[in-house]
Formats: sequence, C-alpha cells, structure tokens
Amino acid sequence: MPPSLPILAEPTLFSLPEMLLFTALVFTSAWLFWRRFGPILGRILQSKKDPDFHLFPIGKRVWDFAWEVLLQARVIRERPLAGVAHALVFWSFCVFGLVTLNHCAVVFGLGFLDPAGRVGRLYFDFAAIFAVGCAVGILGLLVRRFLVRPKWLGELSWGSGLVALLIFALMATYLAAFFVTTPGGAVQALWWVHTITLLAFLPLIPHTKHLHLVLSPFTVFLSRGSFAHIPPLSGDEDFGLVAGKDLTRLVSLQAYSCVECGRCMEHCPANATGKELNPKEIVLGLRGYLNEFGPQSEEALLGKYESQRAAFECTTCGACEFQCPVGIEHVPILVGLRRGAVNTGTWENDYGSKLFLALERGSNALGMSAAERDKFVEKSALPIFDGTQEYCLWLGCMGAYDPRGRQIVLALVRVMRHLGASFGVLRKEKCTGDPVRRLGNDLLFQQLAEANLEALTQNRVKKIITICPHCVRTIQEDWKEFGTPPEVEHHSEFLARFASQLPSVRDEKKIVFHDPCYLGRYRNVYDEPRQVAALAGELVEAPRSHERSFCCGAGGGLAFLGEETGERVSHVRVEELVATGADVVAAACPFCNTMFQDALAARGDSAPELMDIAQIAARGLPEDGT
Amino acid sequence: MSVLLVLEQSGGKVSRLSWEALAAAHRLAPAQEITAVVIGAETDALAAEAAAKSVGKVVRVEHPLLKTYTADGYSKALHQLIQGQSPGQIVFPHTYQVRDYAPALACRMGQVLIGDVTGIADGPVFMRQLLQGRLNGSYRHSGNGPCFVSVQAGAFRADSVETQGNAAPAPIELFTPALDAAQIRTVPSEPFRESAQTVDLGSAQRIVSVGRGIKGAENLPLIEALAGALGAELAASRPICDNGWMPMERQVGSSGQTVAPKLYLAVGISGAIQHLVGMKGSQCIVAINKDPDAPIFEVADYGIAGDLFEVVPALTEAVKAAKQ
Amino acid sequence: MKIVVAIKQVPDRDAPVRIAADGKWIEERELQWAMNEPDAYALEEALQLKEKHGGEVIVLSAGPERVGSTIREALAKGADRAIHIVCDDLGAGAGGGLRNFDALGVARLLAEAIKPESPDLVLTGLQSEDLGLCQTGVILAELLGLPHATLILHVEKTDAGLKVKRELEEGWFQSIEMPLPAVLAMQSGGNKLRYATLMGIKRAKTKELRAVNAAELGVEAAPVATLEQISAPKKQKSTQMLGGSAKEAATALVEKLKTEARVL
Repeated sequence: MPPSLPILAEPTLFSLPEMLLFTALVFTSAWLFWRRFGPILGRILQSKKDPDFHLFPIGKRVWDFAWEVLLQARVIRERPLAGVAHALVFWSFCVFGLVTLNHCAVVFGLGFLDPAGRVGRLYFDFAAIFAVGCAVGILGLLVRRFLVRPKWLGELSWGSGLVALLIFALMATYLAAFFVTTPGGAVQALWWVHTITLLAFLPLIPHTKHLHLVLSPFTVFLSRGSFAHIPPLSGDEDFGLVAGKDLTRLVSLQAYSCVECGRCMEHCPANATGKELNPKEIVLGLRGYLNEFGPQSEEALLGKYESQRAAFECTTCGACEFQCPVGIEHVPILVGLRRGAVNTGTWENDYGSKLFLALERGSNALGMSAAERDKFVEKSALPIFDGTQEYCLWLGCMGAYDPRGRQIVLALVRVMRHLGASFGVLRKEKCTGDPVRRLGNDLLFQQLAEANLEALTQNRVKKIITICPHCVRTIQEDWKEFGTPPEVEHHSEFLARFASQLPSVRDEKKIVFHDPCYLGRYRNVYDEPRQVAALAGELVEAPRSHERSFCCGAGGGLAFLGEETGERVSHVRVEELVATGADVVAAACPFCNTMFQDALAARGDSAPELMDIAQIAARGLPEDGT
Repeated sequence: MSVLLVLEQSGGKVSRLSWEALAAAHRLAPAQEITAVVIGAETDALAAEAAAKSVGKVVRVEHPLLKTYTADGYSKALHQLIQGQSPGQIVFPHTYQVRDYAPALACRMGQVLIGDVTGIADGPVFMRQLLQGRLNGSYRHSGNGPCFVSVQAGAFRADSVETQGNAAPAPIELFTPALDAAQIRTVPSEPFRESAQTVDLGSAQRIVSVGRGIKGAENLPLIEALAGALGAELAASRPICDNGWMPMERQVGSSGQTVAPKLYLAVGISGAIQHLVGMKGSQCIVAINKDPDAPIFEVADYGIAGDLFEVVPALTEAVKAAKQ
Repeated sequence: MKIVVAIKQVPDRDAPVRIAADGKWIEERELQWAMNEPDAYALEEALQLKEKHGGEVIVLSAGPERVGSTIREALAKGADRAIHIVCDDLGAGAGGGLRNFDALGVARLLAEAIKPESPDLVLTGLQSEDLGLCQTGVILAELLGLPHATLILHVEKTDAGLKVKRELEEGWFQSIEMPLPAVLAMQSGGNKLRYATLMGIKRAKTKELRAVNAAELGVEAAPVATLEQISAPKKQKSTQMLGGSAKEAATALVEKLKTEARVL
C-alpha cells in the first residue's frame, strides 16, 4: 500500500493524574475567561433594550452573517491582503472546532475522530491544510502589525503579539503531530503543549481585542440591518445618547466588539483632514465609559470618554460604518451623541443655532425667505403639482434657493420636458429636515417631517423626483418614523432609465464622477449616474470611488456649521478628483456641487469644469427643451 | 386745528428728520398754525433755527433737567406744555428718542401714538407699513384729545420746507416746565461707541465686498479706494479669504459672518449660495460683475454688468463727486 | 428676580399674506404663526438673567387659543410659567375681540395681568413684526408707574437696580442706570437666541399655564387709533440694471443710491 495521506499522531492513553490535571486546567482557563467576560456580558445585558429591535425578517440577518462572518467578504474586500490572512485564520478556527473537541475528548477516551480511520484521516488532513494557511496568515498579520505598522492599528499591543504567537504555536503543534512517527513521549508532549497553548489562549480572548472572536458574530447577526439607520426615540425620557442609561444593548455589544482595526479611522474624512474625530475612539470611548461607569449611569457620555467637538465633526458620510468588519454602526452612535446634546440644549454653536432658528421659523435651511422660492418657480414657469402629473419635482432647499442648485433643477426640467415626463412642483415646501436630523434635533425634524408628509398627502403625491440625495434619503427612510412617504427617486435613476433617449455630446472629454455618500453608500446607486455622466465622454475613476468614495464635507449638517478646523474635506477631495486628469468633474448632489464649486474656485483658472449629471444630460438638448 | 411739532436736535442743530416732520405737519395745517417746539437746557440757537422756517411760532421748552434726554423729563415737560396748548395734532420725527417717550406721553393723555407714518391723506388718514413692509395700513384718530403722530425717516422731503423760509422769523416763546430731579428716575450716560477691537461687519452700515473677479491681491487697492469714498467696511467672499488676500474675519457667508448693512456693494462676486446667505438681509444690494447672468444679480437692487476694473474707479470718482 | 416677559404671536415671516374680505386685516386661516422675534430676544434676556441671578420667568401673552403654541414654545425654552390672556381676535371676548383694542388697550390688558404678580422687571420686545407699533413696553411702564428704557441690548443687575445698554442711532450707545422694578423694551440682536429642544418641549407640559379671560380684567376697548384699511404695496421692483459706459453707469448708480435707495 503506497503511503497516501499523512496520519496525525494522537496519544491514546491518559493516566488518572493526567485526566485530573487536564480537568483542572480546563476549569482554570474557563474561570479566567469568565472572570473577565462575565462582567462584560453583564454590562451588555444590563444596557437598555433596543426599543425598535426586531429579529425578523431573519433572512437578511442570515445572509449578512454568511457573507460578512462566514465568507469574510467585507474583511477581504476592504484590505485584500490582510483580509485574506485574517480569513485563513478565521476559517481554520472554524475547521478546528471539531479538531479541538476531539483533542479534548481523547483524554477521557472519548475521541470520535480516528486519525487512522477514513473520515478522521480525511478531516485531520483537511484541517492540516487550514493549519498551514492559518500559520502563514498569522505570521503575515504579525509582520504587518509589528514591522509594517500601519497607523490605523494604533499603538503596538503586546497582547496581540502574544495571541498571534499562541495561534502560531497551536498550528505548529498540530502540524508537528503529523511528523511524529514513533508513538510515546513525543506524541504526549506535543499534545500537552497544544493543550496548554489552547488553554492559555482562552482567557486572553476577553482581555484583548480578540474579544471580537466571541462577540462580533453576534454583533453582525443582530445589527440594525439597514445602513446608518437612526433608531426612533422611545418614551418621554429618551433624548438620544445622553448618559450610560441611554446606551442600548446593541450599542454596548458593538462597543465591546471593536477589533481596533482602524478601517473606520482610515476612511473618515474628518480624521483624514486633521480634525479631532476618530470613529474608532468614539467606539472605544463607549467601551471605556461602560467599564468605568456602567450601563445604567447618569454620568454624561460627552465628557471624560467622548468629545462633543468630535461628535459634531462627523459628516455622516458613513464610510466608517460601511467598512466596519465587525458590524459596528457608527452613524447611529455619532448621531445619538448629537441627539443627546441637542435635544437637551447642551450643544451651543452659533451656526447650529442659526440653522435651527431658521428652520423653527422659516421653511428652509438656508434661512432665505420663501418668497424667493416662489419667485424662482414663477420666473422659470415651473408647473404646480395638482395631482394629475406623474412626478412631484421636489426642489429641496438647494434646488429652490441656491443659484447653482436652480441651474441643476432647470437642466432636469429640460430633460423631463424633452422626454415628455409630466411633473409639477409643490406650492410650498419645507426642508426635509436632513441637516437637523443628522445634527440630532429631533423636535425640529419631527415638525418638518410631519408638515411635509401632510402637504404631500394633501397634494396626492405618489412619486417624488429630486436632485438631492439627502432629500431622497430623508424622505424615504427618516420620515418613516412619522408616516408613509411617497415613492422617491433620485434624478440619476430617472435619467439613467432614459439615457438611450438622450443626446450624447461626446467631445473627447474625460469625466470623473464623484459618488455622493447619500447616493452611493446610503442608496447603493453607483452605475446610474455613471451611465448619465458617460453621455459627455470617457469616464475615469478617482482612486476612492463607489463604496469607498470620499465625502465632499457637506453632510451631517456640516454645510451649515461654519469653518472647519484642519484642512477642508472639499479641498482634499477636489485635489483627488483633479489629479485624475479629468476635464469635467461630474457630481450628482447639490451639496457636493456647492462644496466643489468653492474648492475649484480656490484652485484658480486651471480647474476642470464642474457639472451635475442633469446638466450633462441636458447638454445636447435645444435651449427651449422641446 | 393747530399742530405742535416737536423738533429734535443733532449736534447742536435741528435734525434733518425734524424738517421732514415739518413737511408732514404742513400736510395737516397751514404754516401759521404750526408751533415748533425745541426742548433742552439751552435752546436759543435751535429756536432761532426753527423760527426761520415756515412755522407760526416756536416754543422753547427749557429746564436744566432737560440738559440730557430722559424719557421722564421729556414726557413730563411736554405733557405740561400740551395741556396748555391743546393742539389738534402733535407731530414728531420717528426717531429712537421719540419711540422712547412719545408713547408714554400719549398714554398719559389717554392717547395712542400713530407711529412711523409714511404718508398722510385727507381726513387726516395716516399711512404706515404693516408686516414689515409687506402691507400698508391706513389709520384714523378718533375721540377727543390730540392726535400723536411720528413720521418715518425719508417719507417726506425736508428740502421742500427749507425753501419756504419766512421773510420775518416766527415769534419765539419760552416755556419753563415744573420739573423736580426726583421725578427723573433714569440716569443716562454720555453716548459712546464700541471700541473697534475686531472687525465688526455685523454692525457696519455700508459694506464693499469683493470676490474672485478681482483676480489678484494686487488689485485690492481699487476696492479699498471705493470703500474709503463710501465710508464702508471691506469684506470678501470665501475664495478671497482662502487665498489669504484678506483676513478670514472679513469673510461674508455661511462659514463667515452674516451681515445686514444698509448698502452692500458686491464687486466681482458671482453669488454662490454660501455667500448669499450671509448678505441677503442687506437693505440695498448693488452688484458689479462682468457676467450678466451671474446669480448675484438675482438678489441685487441695482446691477452693473461690466468690467470691474473700469466700473469701480468710475464709481469711486462719482461717489467723491457726489459728496462735494 | 421675578421677570414678566410679554410676548406676542405674529404671522410667520414666510407665510404668504392675503388681505381679508373686510379689507381691515389679513386672512388668518391657514396662516402660520410664530413668536415675535424681538420678544424672543426679550425672553432670552430674561432667561439669562434668571440663570445668573435666580428667580422666575413668567411669560404673558394675549390672544386667541392659537397663542398657546407660542406660549408653550416660551415654556419649552425655559420660562417657568405662563399667563394667557384669552381673547378672540374678533367678536366674542372683551369689548368685541383683541383687534378692537389699540396699543393702549392691549397694554392695559397686559398691565392688569401683570399687576398682581408685582414683578421686579417687565420685558417686552421693542416692536412687533406685524403691527410694528413699537410702543407696548413704553405704555406698560406708564400704566404700571415704572421707569423704562427702550432699544436695550444688554441688561446688568446692580446693587441699586439695573444698568442697561441702549442703542442710539448711527452706531452710538449709552448706558442707563435705573431702579427696579422697571420695564425694558429689548432690541433684537443683543443676545444669541437659544433653539427649542425636545427636552424643553417635554418639560413644558408640566409647567403652569394659567388662562385669564380678558373680560375678567375689566378693560374696555375704547380705541382712539383705528386701523381702517390695509392694502398691498406696489409690487417690489426687480433688479435695475444700469447700462452705458462705466462712467455713465457709475453716475447713474450714485444718483439712484442717493435718491431712490437713500443709502448715501
């Protein structure tokens, strides 16, 4: 018989003292684990219940779990090399579940996998392949962490190094057992080294970021499930994340799940431009808070562990949340901290107050008189929506008052007329509440959402089209808390549907399309605007595009909050877009448009042209739109 | 019915607004039935000035306690005067000072001030603005007792009365009210101006603001000359401050300052929304831009579509010429 | 310090106004209402004084039921309790409705409601955004027999009473010292207004809001100044573009600024 597959050497007989020693070691290890993990679990479970949590529909949860945890897709997609290394370790851990169970069972003669048997031999060899992968992977990660040292990983952690070495030792001792041919002491020794390594690893888990091994599968499975979802407030005493008592189980679970990989920080526009905000520190701050004050505390969250200034530097672009491999939902946390500050009046900011007061009394975030909108509607001869038209063209604050936004609206109007799509605008429109929603002013947001919902119902609006992805998001998702919003569509989706009927004016131009956060990550619309932008020429891509697009700096109400500290996000993004060598920067959001307009103006005359996709679509149409 | 006209002084002379109020009084009564009132501790010069105008009589309300304005002093003194005169109407210029005491004076006589009047029709019917100028309202006075009216600045032409000077000055009478220091409950300080430690665009009356049309920092003296001629503060749009051509505190717009001057002159500013939200409250907006389609013209009251390098020097000259 | 702040509910600045059928006032149905902004500044000053010196802030407003929303807004922003002089605009109510009262009549109503409170300080906004009469505070002082000052930007409590900063014309100011109790008419812009918060609104629900029927205050509507008719002003002119050579345009502009806009 030719030697086919190698066979794992396994001790067969254990003495009573060995059994007792093993049992004692297992209990010690488990006790050490629990001594740390028990209180953590306690703090999570003692947190407030999530008022809006529903386990069902479960299908999406299972799918997310399979995709993100089992297939490690998010980990790999974001950082392919390190991601694959991590996936190898993860998968081998899964495979090793059975191996380890058997490993312990043999002590009591209860081994269920026979190394020489057909099944056992096959499984052990299968595991050996993973063990090699895991060993290589963990060495790679070790090299990265201790030699390459990307700044996202933060300070060197010796705990991580020790854990990595233990994992390597586990794999090495497992693999070595294939090469021991003589039964006896060597086999026994390998078994014990493997066992002790394993039992040393267990208590280290809750003491290090490897706590994510235990928690993150739950975090991913139990997450709110929709991107950047802002949960409703519950009851008369809920003002957002004010103190520990407001931290919900999901938030606490997420806080303890953070693996400190720094993907959030790497992609954060605020962090990248020298601001105080670091999403990782926000999450770790919650963990620190929970460890010191506990989940029922009245101690303010914004204080020792969380900075108010940082919380209000977030553009809610969602890059952090989108990248997070362990299911942490940063946006609801950051907005929650803002809610806590704004709903209780502890946030004092001149620009913020100005915005709030403008919307308390007026109709738009820009503080303009509503008469200005009327004038624009009249002057541009926009039809008034009367219930007979297909689309309600929602102007939004930018479309109604911003000169540039108006041009975009008028371009869209020309296209709609050309296509024979029927539309009308409302006589009166209020801000959707996007900026105040993201800044955490629930009172104002509710007032605006309710007033708008009522107006739309009265006008029998069934379908909305708008140039503003922020309006789209707010109408479709955020208003749900207060009623049933009509169907809403971003103009990129409309334009893409009819792209074949639009004239293409290709004049050898290179076009770079900037994905707006609220269209891409928030709505998963990437191809449609590109289809429209391509009408004008050849598309080129910025280094950060699609899901990884870098914010323009306007979101989260920040367009209204005055001067930034550090570099301007818009300037950084514009440099990146200009560096593609494109002749045209194509945008699909009036906020991006206005941010880039300024940033390009500051560059001087050599700047590329800035166009909204609606303007690209309308370019070949005759001026009168017929 | 006779009219009592209460004049106000500014820098030792009767203020222009007072003469505008005289023009309004002429709508109510012939000159000889108008009694002009000057008030203070020493009123000879003011009275002489008033007597040269088309009024029937001038009354000097004089008392040492009237040296500086106090609501208590003025309303008590005038109350005593009016009681002796029983005029049909009492006319004031609608100044900060009048707003401070005239309603109390009217109240003391069971009357209400019809304030900030912009026009007088037969009746008399008094026109005034409502809802911040969105509507006009016409008011009528009823019942016994004098009718108190204050006149909005600029609503009547002061130059129309100045040409009607009498050949002989109107007679001047002295009235000494009975005042007691204990009756004056407030102690006002000397007027002061805020020390200008920082640029305060928010309270500037006139602003000349410059945008990217200026092309380079070396061209700024052009704008400075215009601002100098107008007595205006300098401001800029964001790109100008970004480039360091002007300090950040002079930035007008959503990330800078919000201003509401009487005159906002935007030079070479296209009118991005960030800029518009910072200056839309200005009373009068003038835009100079070479692009006739620039959005700034949408919000402007007056526009010149032209090369700022030609228009601005011409404007500076025109402003200087107008001042002479 | 016990402070009464008189606030008024006015049509929202942004609300489109239509003249009512009788031509005497605007159509109030479907109108949106808001707190008179100068009164918001008066409230803000009162709240800041309370935060500094302790005491109580009482808001006072007269008008029909709709005024309740503005009163609650004031309570939400931090006032301790409120008095609502309930009085319909027209018809029912004392003397046939609030609109039959002139400035003196309204001030009498407010004064009657204030007297039993004997406050240390009464604050009002300088003027209302609808009628713009600009005198309620001054008349109140006269009716209550208290010293007053108007156009006040800043209030400082002293041992003897108050030291206030008053705005004069042309960028000048003066300070005025006066004893308490007193009445101040506050100029807009002296403080930064606070925004309404969810917590404030929820807390406001438990605060005292006392309704007083205007008829109980024993004030007769005997107007001496009546608003007879309202009309829309001539349509606002749009942008005037000045053409010609640079020199011609500049000369024309200066002339317009002098005579039309009167800003030179």
